[in-house]
Amino acid sequence: MSEIKECDLPGIGKKFTLELDSNDTLVVVIHSSGEREVFKFVKNDDEPTSVTTLTDKESRQIGAILSGTYFKPVIEEEQKLAMKNVTMEWIKIEFNSMLANKTIEELDIRKKTGVTITTIIRGETVIPNPPSTEIIRPQDTVIIVGSNEQVENFISTYEIKHMIKNDCQ
Amino acid sequence: MIVNESIVSLGISLLALFFAGFLATKINQSLTAVFIVVGMILQNFFPVTIITEFIATLGIIFMLFMFGLEFSLGSLFNNKKKIFYTGTCDLLFNFPLGLFLGWLLGYDLMETLLLAGIIYVTSSVIVAKSIIDLKRSANSETGYLLNVLIFEDMFIATFLAFIVGIINYGHIDAKGTFFVMVKTTAFFLFFVILSKASKKLKFIDKLIDIEHTELFVILILSIIVLSAGAAAQIGLSEAIGAFLAGLLLSETRQRHRIAEAIKPFQQFSTAIFFVAFGMSIDYKHVISLIPMGIFIFIITSFSKAFGGYFIGKRYALSKRASLRLGFSLIPRGEFSIILAGVISMNPHVPYPLKALTGIYVLLCAVLGSIIMKESDLFTKWFIEKKDT
Repeated sequence: MSEIKECDLPGIGKKFTLELDSNDTLVVVIHSSGEREVFKFVKNDDEPTSVTTLTDKESRQIGAILSGTYFKPVIEEEQKLAMKNVTMEWIKIEFNSMLANKTIEELDIRKKTGVTITTIIRGETVIPNPPSTEIIRPQDTVIIVGSNEQVENFISTYEIKHMIKNDCQ
Repeated sequence: MIVNESIVSLGISLLALFFAGFLATKINQSLTAVFIVVGMILQNFFPVTIITEFIATLGIIFMLFMFGLEFSLGSLFNNKKKIFYTGTCDLLFNFPLGLFLGWLLGYDLMETLLLAGIIYVTSSVIVAKSIIDLKRSANSETGYLLNVLIFEDMFIATFLAFIVGIINYGHIDAKGTFFVMVKTTAFFLFFVILSKASKKLKFIDKLIDIEHTELFVILILSIIVLSAGAAAQIGLSEAIGAFLAGLLLSETRQRHRIAEAIKPFQQFSTAIFFVAFGMSIDYKHVISLIPMGIFIFIITSFSKAFGGYFIGKRYALSKRASLRLGFSLIPRGEFSIILAGVISMNPHVPYPLKALTGIYVLLCAVLGSIIMKESDLFTKWFIEKKDT
């Protein structure tokens, strides 16, 4: 990985230059106003091939996506390790799902299959550790955890068709 | 009665500035040039009043204060070698040419020195704005361009202090020059030492650490005006006092808050300063000065462009980037006008300095921005011509 070069642009802001592995150069200029500009220079060209201007807020969002804190792609090695013992599965609840419109308590998932529901994602809201009185609704995404057998058991018991792979949410 | 009339004329000036400025931003033109033109037109309707003059003086003070505040002493020290080299090249390409032109025009020594300064100093306001507007901040030549501007601003600030010192002394002789130099250096050193000490001990930080918005503004204003006043008291330019006050405060943590607080004052008074300058240009002289203005504009554009090209080549920039660096140095603006304003008009020379500077700055600000924007056209032409 190459080094990031930093330099002052007096009266304008600060410039960060990163040589990419592809031999292109990426330059980020942070203006004193908080605005960011991202330039891409193709090798040996002294004029940028593209310029993107971002507000302070937008660049923070993009920054979070780029750094992986917004959504972390599961790296294969880690995934393999997890596979040995435990599986996590993202499950989309269909309208005709056996799970739809019932509370967790009612479904008695843990007793029947051994699987635990860790999180319910409902549109923009995320419910971590949902209480047993929580009703699972159609269109929810449910994250479950269990051993490989338990999860397989869960999938066959409730006839789950739509699973979302970890790495392509 | 005088006050009432002044207020009305000030109001009319501001309204005219608004409409002219509005049109200027529509066609992406520099406000500096438009404000001067507004002033030239308005002189037909009312004279420069004491109030306008007073605000114009404040305009110089606030403008120089903001320069000082945004001036990065840190990057001056970090890149001193590069800044010194690029700045000296630019100085040698342009300043002596100004002296020669001054001699050619039959100016006395003082006017010749001023003309050299006027054609030497590029407008950092216009150039910095164009760099941002034209999305050139990441270009390879931009770092060098900004280094040149830092050197120029520092040089001209010192030059201005010295020139005004000489003017206040009365005439140029060895004793006076020495006396003024010592005074200027002492004044600079006082502020530099104060700034260094304050950076360590943080006493200025503590002094201006006031939450109350109104009191904060009043305290900052008092620091600015007192520094300017102190400089004027010892016979230097009040502008230099303000510049050094800006440098001093730029090392504090409250820098951004200060800039925000002072900006409205600066924008208002600087606009009036340009109008007052426009109003002081003798209308009748202007037309006959246009050919000479164009002549000086062409010569000094070439010297700037070649100087910039030379610097770019020295630092192994591509031909295109080097030429762009040169073309970007053409706009002149605020500092040239401040320099032209320091002496009263001498009506006996065929080319009055103030009026000539007016024409020259208008040409440089307007055409310079256009050349900077369309530099690709010029570079293409230049490179093709060289290659064939």
